[in-house]
Amino acid sequence: MADTVRTAAPVQRNNFADGILPKHFADRELTTLTSARRITIYFATELQLQMSKTILCMLLFSVISLRTAVAQESPFVVTYTHYMEEPGNLEIETSSTTGVPRNGQQFYSAPYMELEYGVTARWTSEFYLEGQSTPGDSTVFTGWRWENRYKPLDREHWINPVLYLEYEDLNEASRIQKEVEGGGPDLSSRNTLLTRERDHELEGKLILSGDYHDWNISENFIIAKNFSQSEGVEFGYSFGASRPLGRLASGTNCRWCRENFIAGAEMYGGLGSTHSFGVGNTKHYVAPVISWMLNDNSTVRVSTGIGLTRESNPVIIRVGYTYEIQAFGARISHFFGWKP
Amino acid sequence: MKWLIGLSGALVLLGTDYMLAQNFAYQPDQNWRTPVAAAARQNPLFDKPEAMAGGRKLFLRNCAECHGHDGAGIEKKHSADLQLPVVQVQSDGVLFWKITNGNTAHGMPSWSKLPELQRWQLVLYVRTLGTAPQSPATK
Repeated sequence: MADTVRTAAPVQRNNFADGILPKHFADRELTTLTSARRITIYFATELQLQMSKTILCMLLFSVISLRTAVAQESPFVVTYTHYMEEPGNLEIETSSTTGVPRNGQQFYSAPYMELEYGVTARWTSEFYLEGQSTPGDSTVFTGWRWENRYKPLDREHWINPVLYLEYEDLNEASRIQKEVEGGGPDLSSRNTLLTRERDHELEGKLILSGDYHDWNISENFIIAKNFSQSEGVEFGYSFGASRPLGRLASGTNCRWCRENFIAGAEMYGGLGSTHSFGVGNTKHYVAPVISWMLNDNSTVRVSTGIGLTRESNPVIIRVGYTYEIQAFGARISHFFGWKP
Repeated sequence: MKWLIGLSGALVLLGTDYMLAQNFAYQPDQNWRTPVAAAARQNPLFDKPEAMAGGRKLFLRNCAECHGHDGAGIEKKHSADLQLPVVQVQSDGVLFWKITNGNTAHGMPSWSKLPELQRWQLVLYVRTLGTAPQSPATK
């Protein structure tokens, strides 16, 4: 690690000169260059500290509100199910994707914050802010996403289709990998190069999901078009199965009951593009997943993805915390005097 | 200073939390019809009244926001008054089907994300609301 930092130092100084990194860190970096551990910790936490201020404000508001809210979340991180956000509820999620490198790749942590709102019982809208931090390289803001899911059928069926449309304004340093399409993200280039390339991308998904004896089985088919680059149209997939560990609810509020856990597995990857369709030179992962409902408001999700191809990270670790505020829309409407 | 403004805003928002009234005028949606086979289903927890306590917990967690803690419905949300006979005369199968599918065109979400037995627990608890003492305004 020390060797890596020493060889990376000139590039870091260029980053400071370009104003990519904050000045206070530049000063700190000059005095602690020999301490690889300190630099690593600082890089990894810089972006998360900024995001945590915003999240703290939101949590403060929601704690003051003292309303219970449902938060029984699907354990999948990548695969979408047909479960929609309850109308008027706001869900705040902070998560991170951490990639363990293979030779030629770099360790990274990609935190993101998600705001999910139930517009109606059949329409859910989500907004993401995301970043990425690579020790020995830099910490960068990688962009935002706005996605919408719409459930066209109003009853539960054997297979429930959901239509998904997302707009992304990102740069190539994005590594949260909420989905993998095409060949997947560039895991070896430096952030200074990657952040110069912006992606304006439109992404669609067909989500097919159904419940069978308390098992949820979901498949997502992904199609994406990057309008900033001539990559053609890219494709991807994900599918997963999950099941609650407890089927009956106990009469007491317990934290460690089986009913609070949902476990499963998902698999996801890219399928190339119209220029080269197929699984060659693409990233694929299989990941056991689990969600744990801490209380009526909060859920923790953990996923450990195992890379299946040489292009993939050997391991991707994802951890997320979700907090849900019930009737958020009605409160805001009332506050501003709007009709709900 | 920003924190102080944010905190003040949250307190004002909390202070203006609206008072919601019981939905005395609830009328069932005539288009929300349960298939015959689903309506005939029996509650597998019918002989397990101890499961009702779990149903109460699920109700307070998932349903009370719209139906009220006593299930009397909330007028502004147009949610059903679950204490009314028009609801209580419906079979267990009908209640289970309605919880499972929701009535998404009218704001009632689907609760298929809950395990099947937990939805039956909810049915058990909803049954007890029919015998709950009515609020003074409904007498």
